[in-house]
Amino acid sequence: MTRRLSNPRGLAVFGLPAAGLVIVPVVAVVWRTPWSNFWSSISGGAARNALALSLRTSLIATVLALVFGTPLAWMLANSRSRGRAVVRSLLVLPMVLPPVVGGVALLFAFGRRGLVGGVLYDWFGIRLAFTETATVMAEFFVAAPFFIVVMEAAFEQVDRRVLGAARTFGAGPWRAFLTVTIPLVRPSLIAGLVLTWARALGEFGATITFAGNTPGRTQTVPLAVYGALESGDDSALALSMLMVVVSVVVLVALRGRWIGALRRGGE
Amino acid sequence: MSLAMQCRFVRDTFSINVDVSAASGCVLGITGENGSGKTTTLDMIAGLLPCTSGSIIIDGSTVDDSEKAAFVQPEQRDVATVFQGGGLLPHVSVGRNLTFGRGRALRATPRFDEIVGAFDLHQLLRRKPSELSGGQRQRASLARAFLSPSRVLLLDEPTTFLDPDSRDVIRRLMKEWFEVYEGTVVLVSHDPAEIEELADIALRVAVTRGATIEADLVLG
Repeated sequence: MTRRLSNPRGLAVFGLPAAGLVIVPVVAVVWRTPWSNFWSSISGGAARNALALSLRTSLIATVLALVFGTPLAWMLANSRSRGRAVVRSLLVLPMVLPPVVGGVALLFAFGRRGLVGGVLYDWFGIRLAFTETATVMAEFFVAAPFFIVVMEAAFEQVDRRVLGAARTFGAGPWRAFLTVTIPLVRPSLIAGLVLTWARALGEFGATITFAGNTPGRTQTVPLAVYGALESGDDSALALSMLMVVVSVVVLVALRGRWIGALRRGGE
Repeated sequence: MSLAMQCRFVRDTFSINVDVSAASGCVLGITGENGSGKTTTLDMIAGLLPCTSGSIIIDGSTVDDSEKAAFVQPEQRDVATVFQGGGLLPHVSVGRNLTFGRGRALRATPRFDEIVGAFDLHQLLRRKPSELSGGQRQRASLARAFLSPSRVLLLDEPTTFLDPDSRDVIRRLMKEWFEVYEGTVVLVSHDPAEIEELADIALRVAVTRGATIEADLVLG
């Protein structure tokens, strides 16, 4: 007889298939990856271009999230206005929106005949859609909300008493922000950046809709994987394997931290 | 040095009227139940909250005045604070906390040695606040406040949550240092015995409850 508190019997019958559906595909990628010509598959022309483009655009999108998302998150965390809930809802919308719809929205905003894009094109001759800039914008659109949510939660957690003490002991608002607030939110900041970067790196739907799928110009790794799969190219598996590795590294780096941050942000 | 405040703070269904003045060298004690506005009063003096109407004058200079639209930022008010729980910066050492906002050169001064000695902090200077006991944190917080050249010293429940031994130590230190302090002390405590022991003037926040909470700071 087992000496432990009994559990609802048979629950595993439903739990195990769920685990299988998630885990088996990852195992399959590892299993089928053409290890013998792994390096040649990912260093070949198209794959290498896609890797360089993905790395470049996802890093730029992440830096933009840091530079513009941090102040926005701070404003959300410190605002007492009623519009705050509305603004926050709109900002996190891309987290639940189908990315393709995000791409359509970007097209109608920044496309050549879009709300803003029309003005940019007619007055300045600037075309955003189907360029590398569009890739960065699509990635930012989809990924930056993660950073903003994590950072807003972090800013809300900063002890007002500690900040108040810093102010009374001589720190001006900027000094208090840079030497007290930022160091206190640093763990969340790092988690948010890693999460945002990972999301940007994997972006597919918004990118293909708004930036297109031009090899060497707007074809990021996820798009290249899809293209290679359709043409039966080995690099599909090799690039997929690479993305799996990156994802595992991201998870290890975060050690579950972002889940806590998201939970706090969700209220 | 002196403190004069005649002001009102309103937020949502809470309001407090404060009409208080104290000369320099005076220790003003404020008691009152939880949520009566004791901390709000300190926040108004420190400049962390602007008063809704009225004015606050420290040492003859207006730091907050709703009619003249004057508001001096906390870092320019010459106010030192000991907040509930200490309010120490958790990410830097005790030593950096003591010199925060005033440059590390402060460490080389006799004043620094004197205060670090008096508050028995020599062994703790390199530690982070999280590595300290409640009593040690409160000693560090008091030392930081006395190191800062201030015109008003604000203390919010400095002995709450301390064990009896630490509480006695903190009270003794406050008593000694209040005597040599030249500015005005405002001490908030829910413990009437502490106010009795340390304060020159005792005030109590009287609260009336209805649909809204009305509080008045009056002579106790």
